[in-house]
Formats: sequence, structure tokens, C-alpha cells
Amino acid sequence: MKLVHDAVTIMTPFLLAALGGLFTELAGTLNIALEGFMLIGAFFSIVFVSVTGSMLTGILLGVLITVIFAFIFGAVSLYLKTNIFITGLAANLMASGLTVVLSARFFGSKGVVTFSGLTPLKGLHSGYSFFVYTSWLLVVVSWFIIYHTAFGLRIRGTGIHPDAVSSLGLRPSQYKLAAILISGAACGLAGAMLTLNVSAFVPGITAGRGWIALVVIYLGDRTPWGILAASFIFGLSISFSNYAQGVLNLPADIILSFPYILTVAAMTVYQIYRIKRKGGGLQHR
Amino acid sequence: MNRREKENIIVSFWGVLLVLGASLLFAAVLIFLLSSEPLPAVKYFFTGPFLSRYFFGNMLDAAVPLIFTGLGISLAFKASLFNLGGEGQIYMGALVTTVVCLALPEFNGLAGGLTALAAGSLAAGLLAALSGYLKVKWNVDSMISSFLLSSAVVYGVNFFITGYFKDPSSSLLSTPFIDSRYFLPHLMNPSTLSTSIFFALGGAVIIYFLLYRTRWGYEMTMCGLNPEFARYGGVNVSSYVTMPFFLSGLMHGLGGGFAVLGTYHMSIKGFTSGMGWGGIAVALIAKNNPLGVIPAALFFAYLNAGSKAAMLHTDVTFEVAAVVEAFVFFFITSEVIFSFIRRKRRSLL
Amino acid sequence: MAYLTMENITRFYRDNHVLANSNVDFELRRNEIHALVGENGAGKTTLMKILYGLEQPDEGRIFLNGSEVFIRSPLDANRYGIGMVHQHFRLIPDFTAAENIIFGMEPKRRLFFLNRREAEEMVRSISDQFGFDVDPSAVVKNMTVGEKQQVEIMRMLYRNDETLILDEPTSVLTGRQIESLFYTLKKLTRAGKSIILITHKLNEVLSIADRVSVMRQGKVKGTYRRGEVDKKELSQLIFGRDVQFFAGRGVSSGHKFAGKKIFELKNVSIRSGDIKPLLDSICLSVSPGEIVGVTGAAGNGLRELEDVVSGLRDLSGGQVFYHGEDITNFSVHKFREKGFAYVPADRMKRGSSLQASLKQNLIIINHDGFSRFGILNRRRINSFVSKKLRQFSIDGNPDLPLHLLSGGNIQKTVLARELSIETDFIIFSEPTWGLDSAAGEYVYKKIRTHRDKGKGVLLFSSNLDEILGLADTVFVLFHGRIAGRLDNDGSLTKELVGTYMLGLEIDE
Ligand SMILES: Nc1ncnc2c1ncn2[C@@H]1O[C@H](COP(=O)(O)OP(=O)(O)OP(=O)(O)O)[C@@H](O)[C@H]1O
Ligand SMILES: [Mg+2]
Repeated sequence: MKLVHDAVTIMTPFLLAALGGLFTELAGTLNIALEGFMLIGAFFSIVFVSVTGSMLTGILLGVLITVIFAFIFGAVSLYLKTNIFITGLAANLMASGLTVVLSARFFGSKGVVTFSGLTPLKGLHSGYSFFVYTSWLLVVVSWFIIYHTAFGLRIRGTGIHPDAVSSLGLRPSQYKLAAILISGAACGLAGAMLTLNVSAFVPGITAGRGWIALVVIYLGDRTPWGILAASFIFGLSISFSNYAQGVLNLPADIILSFPYILTVAAMTVYQIYRIKRKGGGLQHR
Repeated sequence: MNRREKENIIVSFWGVLLVLGASLLFAAVLIFLLSSEPLPAVKYFFTGPFLSRYFFGNMLDAAVPLIFTGLGISLAFKASLFNLGGEGQIYMGALVTTVVCLALPEFNGLAGGLTALAAGSLAAGLLAALSGYLKVKWNVDSMISSFLLSSAVVYGVNFFITGYFKDPSSSLLSTPFIDSRYFLPHLMNPSTLSTSIFFALGGAVIIYFLLYRTRWGYEMTMCGLNPEFARYGGVNVSSYVTMPFFLSGLMHGLGGGFAVLGTYHMSIKGFTSGMGWGGIAVALIAKNNPLGVIPAALFFAYLNAGSKAAMLHTDVTFEVAAVVEAFVFFFITSEVIFSFIRRKRRSLL
Repeated sequence: MAYLTMENITRFYRDNHVLANSNVDFELRRNEIHALVGENGAGKTTLMKILYGLEQPDEGRIFLNGSEVFIRSPLDANRYGIGMVHQHFRLIPDFTAAENIIFGMEPKRRLFFLNRREAEEMVRSISDQFGFDVDPSAVVKNMTVGEKQQVEIMRMLYRNDETLILDEPTSVLTGRQIESLFYTLKKLTRAGKSIILITHKLNEVLSIADRVSVMRQGKVKGTYRRGEVDKKELSQLIFGRDVQFFAGRGVSSGHKFAGKKIFELKNVSIRSGDIKPLLDSICLSVSPGEIVGVTGAAGNGLRELEDVVSGLRDLSGGQVFYHGEDITNFSVHKFREKGFAYVPADRMKRGSSLQASLKQNLIIINHDGFSRFGILNRRRINSFVSKKLRQFSIDGNPDLPLHLLSGGNIQKTVLARELSIETDFIIFSEPTWGLDSAAGEYVYKKIRTHRDKGKGVLLFSSNLDEILGLADTVFVLFHGRIAGRLDNDGSLTKELVGTYMLGLEIDE
């Protein structure tokens, strides 16, 4: 049970980031900047929470800053027509550099900065934080937006056939930008959870979670519900490796590589299952 | 070279200069805000790499692994394959090269070095080829699988460097030094620049030839652009998935191997970290042209060297460099900026 | 009274130095069907893209009802009631018909939510009003070309467009589909719409257009009322000479192809799942000096059979022979090694690589010593390429990507490559889709030459004129089976073939 409980907490940042990334993915942009967005959200949320003294205000301001950061990334890549991958790398680099530079400038440390006296947002009885419930709500909201609004239809259309969209007089770049802003907001929230959970900012605290979120989107078959399932599986495999570390006494590095290997294995098995089920079709030689 | 290519080179030159100029301004503003000695910091940032043999040589040397990884990425990209596993592949190549060198104490320098390099690049190549294989066999997304496998491998290599092969007498988290017989000759003392740079340049020419002058490269390009057409044309499409991945991994492995033989002479925890990502940036800036990879890698190395110089001489933290570098990357691939220059040039002519 | 006028339109493509439109004047009247004709690359599509806001003219003005309008994007075009169906459809394959039709102007419920029910309602009412036959909830990628086209047209009607541009709508349709399209177009003009119709088929122009404008090398050569020109004059205006498509049928009438067979299918079947087979016990053979035509309405197995004979698809049963050798389930690679030539129906995705250069498109099949020991021989390649460009009058720079070429020039590139293969067996599928008559005439000549040299030709075509004009033996597919094997001995008529296509008659 403890395993599942941990898994739910572990999966939440992945889930949030992946839900945000789902919008960019559907709009046809490979958004590798999720990682950087999360880092910005992580840093600014905790700073603003400690400055304003209010959890909610702090988080909202942190998310706002992340959205602005996402806007810069989106505007540069869409309107200056840069290679989105390089710009994404740049955004990640910028985020990791900027957070350290700012933390050195304002808190005098390039390492861990702890913030004491924060009251964590707890749920009712379950012991899950506010973020967990929010993430579940957002799964439903995303599903609704994607499949039941005109906006969702246009986002998906942009991803599948941008030329068709533009020849109907819509601007694909607008929808791509909107998707990027949404992903910024979701990642801001995901980042906030990372720092507020431990009441501290650590450089590089996101530790590749943005990348994993991309994998989660793919494993979740690019649907909100699929993403929920995929991030749970991923959360479970991490919580399991943490548990195994305690029991089996394996070296930490080996344990840390488990989730990645498990994910590749899961992907492969899933594909084999899919091919078996579908069968036939045009051959690939 | 035809007129169009010539024009592209000139336009790229001015475009890069423009972006660099803008980043100079940005860096200046940033440094003024953060540093107590802004003027020298800016000066070192941009001229540092040219101020001494040491910095200059190190800058050239830092470009070597980036040329290899950049070539690896470009190669796979020609087949429309995105190898996101560079970090793990170069690290793996480096470790295996080191280990083979350590295991072969009795060999003569050349043969031993070559064996070690071959083993390292082969290991990295096979690691990458696995992603290609999974793609061909079960249509597993190769971009994602290469990233995941490489992430796992990074931890695995960490384990060996800090555990199994760790040099107990050293305070560094590293393997022991390899025998000096295997060191590549240095070219510009006291810097770390070694003859590995010639291998890198040669590698670029070979890959260029392979991609643009052979049937193999042509067919691979066709598979990348439109696999259905390639198959229709009688090309064996699936062979152009595993092979490009393998070669891409091979190049990464060579990058790691040369870093060991030429520069570090051992494997240190995380010492190749960033070179894989750097390779992607280099390849994309070079628009996947193997010859373009050379200046792109030099440019990348220059930014890094500049920030190191600024950090050494002033109170600027290394992360400022990351921010300025990020600024450059934000704009360096902008088509709008480059087509603006193209138009300006045309209207002048 | 002119209702829409384009004045002095000029468009120069800098990328490849092509003057696609040069001081073009064009006018459209209310309620007319105005045909726009001209050879491949004449600039028809470019002119229409300008009208629809997808391209900006370097010079020139556009007037609507006498006042100048500026059309900078399809959004503007939409505001002025101008809609366009592109030469290559622009539908979102994963969406339903209704979703595609309402896309961009979605009916909403409570401001925000998509109202799918209302959408399907509206689509249905358009369907009823103009006699379309499309299920609003069907997914586009599963539709036939004809249905896709209906969706495109319905989209313009949903948007209340007054001016409808159709770029080569008929080149991919079968005879019956064309009839029903024309019926619809007539109905639309009666409902107050004005239509611009680009086509290469001069019979169509004469039968449906109220007026016709002829373009040549980026210029409009003239506009004529119905009855003012006949087919011969029109062809003279377009090509500068008279083009005769089917000058004498030249069919080796009554000739029996006994004995040797180049290519043979025995009981070929394709099943997927347990639904009815896509192909069922197909037997056919091609002899030296014979053109075997295969036809059928869309969805009856023509495309599947094309995939089988070209080695792109595995069989569930049956055998394939080449000169008596069993080559069942051979790979495309083998197929090419045998030297087969194949012009596929899908020229855009299968037959060419739009992002690759014209040169790269021409040399995919390795012959003529393009490479030795794996190293490309650039001198040979260049001389081959320039020879082909000349021979097939392809208008394009060999080093630039193929997508910069006009639709017809892309087709010619595919033909140039396949026809340069030395072989005794060649497969053509819909060889004249999208070609102007001069190019079409050239292709027919080539096909006949192949036949006369004693080679075997397998011709897939949904164009009955083409089948009757070329084939010695005609196979008609219906529901994946051969409904009839007919000798084209001069007595064969379109009507007879048609009855087989509809399954009204089936030989056992
Ligand atoms: N986007 C483009 N960029 C560069 N050149 C182009 C572009 N589109 C068309 N052209 C060129 O402009 C000329 C006219 O092309 P257009 O597509 O208008 O011809 P078309 O009359 O529609 O021919 P077809 O009957 O073959 O479709 C061609 O030579 C073509 O190569
Ligand atoms: Mg056209």
C-alpha cells in the first residue's frame, strides 16, 4: 500500500508536465523545453511563496512566470522560425543557468536553498497534497478541452495537417503558441510541487523529469487517460526501485537506471502486443 | 561549390555575427547586473579563448568530441532518425576505451590504442543500434528508446567508474590513468590539444563523402525523406534504420574514446556530460552538413571556453556563461534573421 | 457584368526564377462556370492561389463587385466568400467529415463546447439540399477520393462561399463520379454560386463551361464563350498545335496472344481479418506485345491489385510468375532487380519524394552506371538527368526540391524515370492523372511503343476512354473479383464495360 501511495506522489509531477506537453504534442511541436519550464516553476514558486507568505499566491505567481518564460520560448521559435529543438535546449540551459545565477545573487548560494516556515498544503485524510488532486482534476479538464471544444479540435488539426488549417484561414502558429503556454502553466505547477514538497530549491531539482514526461505522453498514446495510466506505471516503477534499494542493498546507480530500463521494456512489450493484435497490413521490408 | 552554396556560407557568417553581437550586448547587460567587475568579465568572455595558447588549444580540443557527436547526430538525421542517446553512447565509448587500455598493459601504443578505440566505438555503436533494431522489429519509437537506454547506461557507467573500476588511490571519482603509451601526442602545450583533432577533421570529410558521394548515402537520404518512395524505388528501407543508428553510436563512441586517449587519459564520473546534447546542437546549427559540423563545433567550444576564461579571471559564475550560451542558441537557428540578411544582401547587390 | 476581376497579376518565384503569372487579367461573372485551361506549369494554380490569398502577387489588383479588395490570407478570401478545393486535398485525415467541414467555424454550445450534434445536422442539411452522399460521422481517411472531394465542396457551402475554385477536381475521378460532380456544379450555379474550374480535359470544358480562359506560359491567351471555340481550336490555343489523343485505336484487334507469358497471376487473394476478401482468386496474364487493362470502380480492388503486382503487398493466397519463375511474395527490391518499371497511381507519396531534389528523384533506380563500387558517378548522373529533362520537357531545376514544380511536371518526372528502364514488363497505374493533353498524348505514344516492341504492359485505369483506347484485353474488377475478361476487338463499348463495373453482369 505504501508502495502505491508513494507512487501517486512520485507520479504527479510527471503527470502534470505530461498533460501540459500533451497539448504541444497534439499541436505538432516536440516540446523538449518541459524540463526547463519545470525548473523555472520550481524556483519561482518557492521564492514567491516565501516572499508573499501565501501558498496559493506564491504558486500562482510562480506559474505566471513560467508561462511568461514559455511565451518567450514559443514566440522565438514560432515567429523567428528557429529550430524548435535547439531553442528547447536553449530554454533548458537558460532555466538551469538562470535559476542558479539568481539563487547565487539573492540567496548567496549556488547549492541547496532551504525555506523554512512554509505550511504545506495537505489534503483531507489521504495525506496526498493539493497538487495530487489538482492533477486529477486536470486530467478531466484536458480531456474535455481536447475532445469537446473547438479549441481542442483546432489544436489537433494543427498537429495533423497544418497546411489544411492555414488554408482555412487559421494560423497554426497561434494554436501552437497557445499549446506552449498551456504546457508552461502545467509545468510551472509540476515544478512548484517539486520544491514545495521538500521546502527547498536544489539546482537541477527536475532531474530529467521533463524528458520522462515526453516518454509518458508517448506511452500514454497521446490521450489524457493514457497519460494518467502511463505516469502511474512510471511512478510505481520508481517507488518500487526505491523500495528495492532499501531491501536488496543494490548500488544506488543501478537502482537509478531501473525506471529507464523498465520503461523501454514496457514500450517494447506494448508495441509487440499492438502488432500482434493488428497484424497484416502493408509489409515493411 | 556553386553560387547558392557560396551565398549560404556568406549569409550564415553574417547571421552568426549578428547573433553573437546581440549576445555580446545581452552578456554585457547581464554581467553589469551581476558582477562587480563587468568590463573585464565581458572582455574575457569574448576574447578569452584567444588570449593564450592554453585557452586557445583547450578550445580547439573541446571541439573534438563535439565534432564526433555532431557527425553522429547528422548521420542519423539524414535517415530521419533522431538519436537522443548521445550522452550515454559517448560515456559508454569512453569507459570501454579506458577499460581496454587498462586491460592491455603489454601492447604497443598504436595497436593497443586502436583496439581500445575500436572496442569503445563498437560498444557505443551496438548500444545505439539496439534502438534501431527495436524500431525495425517492433516499431518502437527510436527517439524515445535511444534516450531511455542512454539514461540507463549513464547510471550504469557511473556505477563502474565509481565502483568497480575506481582508482582507490585517487580522491577523484575516476578510473586509474591509462598507460602513457596510449596517449595521443599533444600539439600545443600546455593545452590539452592533441592529434585527435586530425581524426575529427578526417571523420568529417569521410562522413561527408559517405553521405553525398555514395549510393549508400543517397539511399539513406531517400529513406529519410520519404520511406515509401524509397521502398518503391527498390531500396531496402529497414537496413537504413539499424545501420545509421549503429554508425551514429560509433561516432559517439569515437568521441568518447578520443577524449580519453587525447585529453583525459582516464574516465572521470560525468566527464563527457553535455557532449551528447552539445552534439545535437552542433548538428542542428550545421543543418546536418558534416562539413558544417566543424565550424559549428568550434563555435560551441568557443562559447564554453569564453565562459571558462571569464570565470577564471573574474567573479562571474560559470552559470552566467550558460545563460549567455542559451541566449545564443535561442536565436542561432532563426530563419527569419538569416532570410533578413539574405534579402538585405540581395538589395545591396 | 464581371463580378470578380483580377487585373494585371504578376507573380515571380525567386527560389527557382519562374515567372508563374505575368500581367494576367481574369474575370469571373456571376453564376457562371468558368473553365481555366493550359498546359502543365502554365500558372493556373498560382493564379488561383493568389485569388485565395495563399500567395501574394508582386503586382496587380483584385476587384469584387467593382471595388478593390486585398486578399492577404485565406481568412480574407473567406470574408469575401471565396473558397477553394486544392489539386491535392487539404482535409484532416483523422477527423470525421463533419469535423472537417465545420473546422474553423465551429458551432458552439454555451460559448465554449463543441456542438457535434448541430454540426452533423448542418452537414446533413447541406447534403440534402445539394444531393451529396456523405456520412457526416465517417472518418475522412477511410473515404474514396470522390467522397473526399464532396467533403471539400461541402465545406465551402457550409462557409457560404459564393465563389468556388476547383483545381483539377476531375483528374482523379471516374466517369460516373465526374458526371455526378458536374450535376452538382450545375445545381450550385443555379443556387447563385460562381465557379472556376481548372481542368485538362477539353471535353469537359466544352460540355460544362460557360466560358473558358486559356493560359500559356504565365499569360492568359484569351477568354471564349461556349460555342466560340471547338476542341481543335482550344488545343491549338493551349499547345500551339492540335493534340490528338486517340488517333486510331491501334488495337491489335482479334490478335490472339497464345503461348508465352511474361507475367502471370494465379488465384491471387488478399484477406484481412474475416471480412470479405479484398481480392479473390484473381487470374490474369500478360503476353509479349500485349496491353492488359484492368479497371473497376473505386473500392473494388484496383489499388490492392496494384500493390500486389508491384511487390508492395503480400498475398494471402495464390502465385505470381515472371517468365515462368515463381516470384510470389517477392520484395520490391527483387522486383526492381528484375527490371520492372512501375508508374504508380499515387505519384505524390509513392512515386516521388517531394522534399528531395528533382535529380534525386530521377536516379532512385540504379542503372546506366550511376554508381560504381558504391560511389556515385556525378558526371553520368548529370548527363542522364539533363537528357531526361529535355526528352520529357520537364520544367525545373534539377537541384531544387521537387515540390517546387507544378503538378504536371512532378508527374512527368515519375514517367521519365520509369520509362528510362530497359525492361520487357511495365506497369502503369492511372498514367494520365494530372497531365495536360500534350503530355498525355506522349504517354500514350510511349505505352504503344512498348507494346509494339513486343513488351508486356499492365495498365490500371479508372478512365474508360484510356482503357478502350489502349488495352488489348480488359479485365473488370468488382468486389475484389474479376467480373469480366473482355477482348477489345473494336466492338467493345464503354457501356458494356460499365455494366461489368457495376456488377450488373458477371462472367464466371
Ligand atoms: N511554391 C512555388 N515555388 C516556386 N515555384 C513554383 C511554386 N509553385 C509553382 N511554381 C512554379 O510556377 C510555375 C507554374 O506553376 P502552377 O502550379 O501554377 O502550374 P499549373 O498551371 O497549375 O500546372 P499543372 O497543370 O501542372 O498543375 C511552374 O513552373 C512551377 O514550377
Ligand atoms: Mg496546378
